[in-house]
Amino acid sequence: MGLEPEPLFQAWSYFRRRKFRQCSDLCSQLLEGPHGEQEPDSEYSVFQAAWSLKTRALTEMVYVDEIDMDQEEIAEMVLDENAIAQVARPGTSLKLPGTSQGGGPSPAVRPVTQSGRPITGFVRPSTQSGRPGTMEQAINTPLTARPITSASGRYIRLGTASMITNPDGPFINLSRLNLAKYAQKPKLAKALFEYIFHHENDIKNALHLAALATEHAQFKDWWWKVQIGKCYYRLGLYREAEKQFKSALKQQDMVDTILYLAKVYLRMDQPVTALNLFKQGLDRFPGEVTLICGIARIHEEMNNISSAAEYYKDVLKQDNTHVEAIACIGSNHFYSDQPEIALRFYRRLLQMGVYNCQLFNNLGLCCFYAQQYDMTLSSFERALFLAENEEETADVWYNLGHVAVGIGDLNLAYQCFKLTLVNNNDYAEAYNNLAVLEMRKGHIEQARALLQTASSLAPHMYEPHFNFAVLSEKVGDLQRSYTAAQKSEEAFPGHVDTQQLIKQLKQHFAML
Amino acid sequence: MSLFKARDWWSTMLGEKEEFDQGCLCVADVDNSGRDKIIVGSYMGYLRILNPHPVKPGDGGQPEDLLLEVQLREPILQVEVGKFLCLLSVYGILESRDLICIQSMDGMLMLFEQESYAFGRFLPGFLLPGPLTYSSRTDSFITVSSCRQVESYKYQVLAFATDADERQETDQAKLGSGKRLVVDWVLNLGEQALDIRVVSFNQTVSSVFVLGERNFFCLKDNGQIRFMKKLDYSPSCFIPYCSVKEGTINTLIGNHSKMLNVYQDVTLKWAAQLPHIPVSVKVANLQDLKGVIVTLSDTGHLQCSYLGTDPSLFQAPRVESRELNQEEFDAEMKELQKIIKEATKTQGIFDMSIDSEVEAEAVPSVTVKITIQSRVTVKKPNLEVCVQAPLAVTCEQFVFDDLEPDSSETVIVSVFLKRNFSPSELEGNCVLSYSMPTGILKAAQCNFSLPLRLICFPAQPSKAANHKITIDTNKPPISFLTIFPDFVDPSEDDQANVLGFQFLSGSKATLLASKTSQRYRIQSDQLEDLWLITKELRLRLQEHFKKRNCKDFTCAFSGSIPLQEYFELIDRHFELRLNEEKLQELLSQRAAQFRAIERRLLTRFKDKTPAPLQHLDTLLEGTFREVIALADAAVENQANIFQAFTKLKSATHLVIMLISLWQKLSTDQVAILEATFLPLAEDTKEMGWEETVDAAISYLLRTCLSKSSKEQALSLSSQLCMPKDTSRLKKNITLFCDRLAKGGRLSLSTDSATQQAAVMPGETLGTCSQFTIYIYILELKILQI
Repeated sequence: MGLEPEPLFQAWSYFRRRKFRQCSDLCSQLLEGPHGEQEPDSEYSVFQAAWSLKTRALTEMVYVDEIDMDQEEIAEMVLDENAIAQVARPGTSLKLPGTSQGGGPSPAVRPVTQSGRPITGFVRPSTQSGRPGTMEQAINTPLTARPITSASGRYIRLGTASMITNPDGPFINLSRLNLAKYAQKPKLAKALFEYIFHHENDIKNALHLAALATEHAQFKDWWWKVQIGKCYYRLGLYREAEKQFKSALKQQDMVDTILYLAKVYLRMDQPVTALNLFKQGLDRFPGEVTLICGIARIHEEMNNISSAAEYYKDVLKQDNTHVEAIACIGSNHFYSDQPEIALRFYRRLLQMGVYNCQLFNNLGLCCFYAQQYDMTLSSFERALFLAENEEETADVWYNLGHVAVGIGDLNLAYQCFKLTLVNNNDYAEAYNNLAVLEMRKGHIEQARALLQTASSLAPHMYEPHFNFAVLSEKVGDLQRSYTAAQKSEEAFPGHVDTQQLIKQLKQHFAML
Repeated sequence: MSLFKARDWWSTMLGEKEEFDQGCLCVADVDNSGRDKIIVGSYMGYLRILNPHPVKPGDGGQPEDLLLEVQLREPILQVEVGKFLCLLSVYGILESRDLICIQSMDGMLMLFEQESYAFGRFLPGFLLPGPLTYSSRTDSFITVSSCRQVESYKYQVLAFATDADERQETDQAKLGSGKRLVVDWVLNLGEQALDIRVVSFNQTVSSVFVLGERNFFCLKDNGQIRFMKKLDYSPSCFIPYCSVKEGTINTLIGNHSKMLNVYQDVTLKWAAQLPHIPVSVKVANLQDLKGVIVTLSDTGHLQCSYLGTDPSLFQAPRVESRELNQEEFDAEMKELQKIIKEATKTQGIFDMSIDSEVEAEAVPSVTVKITIQSRVTVKKPNLEVCVQAPLAVTCEQFVFDDLEPDSSETVIVSVFLKRNFSPSELEGNCVLSYSMPTGILKAAQCNFSLPLRLICFPAQPSKAANHKITIDTNKPPISFLTIFPDFVDPSEDDQANVLGFQFLSGSKATLLASKTSQRYRIQSDQLEDLWLITKELRLRLQEHFKKRNCKDFTCAFSGSIPLQEYFELIDRHFELRLNEEKLQELLSQRAAQFRAIERRLLTRFKDKTPAPLQHLDTLLEGTFREVIALADAAVENQANIFQAFTKLKSATHLVIMLISLWQKLSTDQVAILEATFLPLAEDTKEMGWEETVDAAISYLLRTCLSKSSKEQALSLSSQLCMPKDTSRLKKNITLFCDRLAKGGRLSLSTDSATQQAAVMPGETLGTCSQFTIYIYILELKILQI
């Protein structure tokens, strides 16, 4: 024993085994050695190698794939100067979810998100977004935890990683760095760029470095172009980003570049271009899972659920352990009245080792609708046990309330919905359902108040409006009934009951 | 995420606390017995050769499996087997064509022919060693450099290039000498690589496989990408091992989530769970079993396994659950519902006592001492003290530790006037929220009243005033010396019937007692200032007579209600509200304009050839200033509204009191009156005082004060919205006073009957409805994973 490999080799080996903490510590020791204050600008030295290795280790610690990072903020949406036309043609825009080419489910069957898109089976950063029309509307909408501009929010949170990892201050002082010097050393520059981009989250400096470096490489290095594109994307310069990505693709076909370019197109609201790009990419890289998955997501966002499901199936043919595809197909089956099949997909996820509140909740629901009552309650029990925060608990209680309604135990249902509200005070669906229960008990005033709360919390849901219309009509308040019915129709134009109600109300008014 | 786990055929733990990495595992037939042996070297310098032959699958390592164990003096970084056996203990990577190539940490390739040193070359642009391999088809070394490129060097070129011993000369050598180290081909990967392999299973095609940190590449001989795959995990090691189908190659990739994936080109064929993170993976033929997967973890866990459909059984931990027993459940449910019912009615458990005293300073303040006593154990008591603005307290919230039974807590706060107008009420309120040991949340509350001295001090009385009201009593007047001892200086006699008050806000009020009749007069320049004085007078008189056991003391008011003056205050408040609305609208217009300019500027600036700004910047700045000014004006207006509303409230209190004294209303009726004129809701933009009060008064006019049944049938205006002017409200208030004067009685008892009547027309219309109310629009929600 007692044999120790050379420290730099040891650090390098740690890095290869993804033991970044040890690697970074070892590099720090090396850096504090005799060369202490020396800038890593001489030719090869142990110091330089250790510096580069530490940079890479720190970056890897906080690395998040840029492709998965997406959050559209209010300012970007409102100040969107890339839009070509005010009203896009049907089927060419993500902004108008209503214009699906058929195949989309109705909100009566599948709940929708705030923007009117059907709920998907898998949480990704962009699924929660909606596009409010104006700034005022955006600010006044309840439930907005969305940051106002991209300078805030998630990126900021990621940027603070540099402070957490180094309590003594940042490892590299960016303001003192001579970027031009580093740009001429390709071996150091790439690691440094990733450090600045991912770890420090300083896009401007990163862009500066990348611009100098690509010039040094005589615009022949596609990697730098992709990085410049990434920076432009972060800065909101989509057209410029598109140019860089396209030029990079001309030099070298890469899956990542295709994904970045598609992301730019999606942000510019050109889903059809993005689809074409994905398809070209698939010709070059047949069977690439990320590309097929990208196509499926676009179809899903454009409300074209059936073809989305087809593509998700293609994903599974390439990679049958793809969680997102399994979850999406599962939820699709569930909402198209095939709970038994959905159950099989969710069970598969369970077997694969997914073990969380959401999965058990979904299993419980599927079991209930597939009439396998013995498993329902124990699934929900597990889901409650696994819930990590109050929102999740609220969701489970809400669904339990649903089951209780299904078996006719209204008392239990009442308590379940109450518990939902205890856990999450903003749960519009629970308010609506409580209102229906109150209505049955004959407590008109309570029901009315609850419905009003529900509709103010979630104006995009048609149920509270419709219930309110029915309730008002019942007590004879035709005027209010009519306004509520109109709101309901706005939220869900195809709802037959609403249309009938409006027709009837119009008849009444005509009689008067 | 996998369904199956790799089936354990044989496994063992090598050494204790030894470290292993990528190069430490090698599989070869070292003793020419026809079967592969496993050779493992560790960083601690141990070299072991193992020949696993388990009796049955899943056996652990037996002592006889270990063929050789020697400790060398240096760490073993890589083990390879060629026609010779060689172990390396220098930093490097080896390749054998019966030659040995060693890569040192500083980027030098050293080639040895058998035992003798042939030559050494420095690689250009070197920083950290990357994986290195040798391709026999092209006779070249392929590596991934620190510039994130795959580089291929011909052996010939390496051998005859300038001996660039001095690294500094490398660059010059590149430029000058004809024999510089020239790269055969380069491919920019854009990421660091973990490993590189050359595969040629049939002689026609050979491919270079590169395992990057995020992607997996297959390259052609000439450095073009044959295919690539984006990996959604962090790979740790890989080995391309065979081709089953013509033209495809199978690859094993281990990752840091303890998975082993089998790919046929880019298609995932199998995924298996491993018990450890593999740092190295090999395929071996052991003991008549072909294609055994040998994996090594960095702690020395060596496992030989094969793929099978053994499910990777994920055992979900047991949730604490009880046997299903319907009766017990029912009983428990009933019990719980009982508890829920009981929890809604609670008894006060708290005593709160409050002492207060005035400290007259520049700004008078009252010290309030709040004592909390608990009879039971309570958790996390949280006390909030609130007074009506413009009064303020020094500390609004207190959090205590858990209280034991019969213990007490005392806090002291000071109340003072924060702004320069008088409040409408001199009352405060404490709320204590706490949770019982059972977890039920409860609250207790207590009111306290503040002394008049907090907001005014004695001053010279003034004779003349704009507003005067006279209160009649049925007892001879009392000297102010007795009832206002805190305001009267006993040495001055003339203050027995006249008393002056100076409010902190600057206005004055005077109180006069008639010497002959049983009357008091209050006068002031402002209507709202009369209220607090009148209230105080009435309270003190009542207290005074209560002490003397005079129960028949009454006050009365016989003059006319000062409605005109009251209406002026309403108008003032309403005007400010209109102003606020106007400001809001302007603000949103300017904000929209600002954003429009911003957008235009943005497009200009982004343009490669920018058009002239055409004074857009000036416009932007101007709009910005306007927005700020409007926002400031709106804030100021809000403060004004609040002040006007406070005054309005004071005046309303006064009017209510006068009406009740005038008509001698009972306590119940006064309560109705207060509920009508002083809604609990805050005065907001959406729902202001005017429309709320208007709705309440018209309701009363239609119900208990209605003259005929025709009036009752008037339909309710369905929604409260801001009226255009206050004329309707004024008309209604006047009518309201008239009706009261004519003997109308305020009561809510007839309410249900009249409400029924009001709703009736709607009912008759509603009968032709085909709808039932029992439509369940319960929405189901499935969660996203």
